[in-house]
Amino acid sequence: MALTTRDRARLSLGIQAGLFVAVLIALLFIMDWSAIHRSFFDIERIGPMFPDIITVGLVNTLQYTAVGFVLGLLGGTVLALMKLSSFPVYRWLATAYIEFFRGIPAILVFLALGFGVSIAFGWNLTSLQIAGSALGLVASAYIAETLRAGLQAVPKGQVEAARALGMPAWRAMVSIQIPQAFRIVLPPLTNEAILLTKDSSLIFVVGLTAGAAELTKFGRDGINIYQAGLTPLVAAGACYLIITVPLSILARRMEHRSPRKK
Amino acid sequence: MTEPELAEHSSAEDGPAGVTITGLHKAYGDNEVLKGIDMSVRPGEVVCLIGASGSGKSTLLRCVNRLEDPNAGTITVGSFEATDPDVDLDAMRRHIGMVFQQFNLFPHLSVLENCTITPRRVLKQPKEDAEAEAMTQLRRVGLEELAQRRPDQLSGGQQQRVAIARALTMRPALMLFDEPTSALDPETVGDVLAIMRQLAEAGMTMIVVTHEMAFAREVADRVVFMDQGRVVEEGPAAEVIGDPQQPRTQDFLRRVLNPTDVDIRD
Repeated sequence: MALTTRDRARLSLGIQAGLFVAVLIALLFIMDWSAIHRSFFDIERIGPMFPDIITVGLVNTLQYTAVGFVLGLLGGTVLALMKLSSFPVYRWLATAYIEFFRGIPAILVFLALGFGVSIAFGWNLTSLQIAGSALGLVASAYIAETLRAGLQAVPKGQVEAARALGMPAWRAMVSIQIPQAFRIVLPPLTNEAILLTKDSSLIFVVGLTAGAAELTKFGRDGINIYQAGLTPLVAAGACYLIITVPLSILARRMEHRSPRKK
Repeated sequence: MTEPELAEHSSAEDGPAGVTITGLHKAYGDNEVLKGIDMSVRPGEVVCLIGASGSGKSTLLRCVNRLEDPNAGTITVGSFEATDPDVDLDAMRRHIGMVFQQFNLFPHLSVLENCTITPRRVLKQPKEDAEAEAMTQLRRVGLEELAQRRPDQLSGGQQQRVAIARALTMRPALMLFDEPTSALDPETVGDVLAIMRQLAEAGMTMIVVTHEMAFAREVADRVVFMDQGRVVEEGPAAEVIGDPQQPRTQDFLRRVLNPTDVDIRD
């Protein structure tokens, strides 16, 4: 029996799929379902987590992330423009900032803002101020590099056409180059927003009051309160998906709406 | 924008500007692209720059609105000293329209917004005035019904016509065309050339870098042939194209007009 290349490819694919299903079924059979249920999906016992995990936890996570992202966008834009500046001191400063904040763990930035600032200046920052500015400082560094690449990806002829019409350099930057760069960097910016959402959990290192607790704090505290194994963490995880999945969908929509470059 | 600048802008609408170029040199490192160009264009005159690629004609054009900085020489456009280090480049460029080979429409804006963004943001025209003027110019190039489209929904020829309308909304006193039909499909070249001819007949001063010899012959008042950074021959279109005197001009025109009749040994 002679097999064509195509038949052989199909056969190979069929064997792979069959093996995968067989392994999956075997695992399902040998798994200890009641233990899994008790440790991870004991929904009945964590009932009291609602609605606070949503009305307080999810809302706080969203707030910390949103403030961080907006600050990151502003800081990142300034740093990107500094990196593209013809003035070398600006370029060096931006490079030093980016290397520093990309290179250290974000948790150190949270610690520095949470404890360092109050030690150094005697200011007592709120959780939102700490989380927002820590995320903003870190996000600025990543977003700066993304935006710089985006600005450089806008064809040179675009700025030339704007300048030839009589636009000053700053106007060509604001009205022509930056809007096109943002469309180019929308996918990596979405990525950054999703990473920030999860990094907002690092605020736990400075301690949180009940009203300032975000999703991960709810999850961690829940482990001690509800005797439901790790179920509270699973619930917190599901809440993160409630934020990040719509974010991805929204970004994909916006991407499809923006004009394609030829 | 300050008051004097606004006044300056309206004064340019008085009529087309002339251009005077003397002793123009431009080099990129050791590569000398322009080796002393002297040329003048009278107000309302149409001059076509022809020559092989690399002869410096595009660079010369881009020096006129200072997209390129010349190394030496002077350029005057109307009342502007383009090569004066203190010249207000943005104010000068508002009087000089430029059309590029690659159109360079702004892809994130509609056709109408492409035509209104500079009048609105730079000249601070009210939205209604800017849109009315834009529609007038879009009608002039026959595309008013496409005003709400995005550039990527248009053919190359349509995009180039929008680019011309966009330049005209600034009421320029001089139009620069940098190989405006070189990136177009052959069947759309005619529409663009027809609009340029119309513009020439309306009395616009135009400098056109082109390989369209038929257009140069019919529309240009004067043709300037450049080779290796120098003006080799210039004169009335019929003379330069119909009866070239310089061997290099003759050679170039023979190649362009009879592309299949090239001696492959050289």
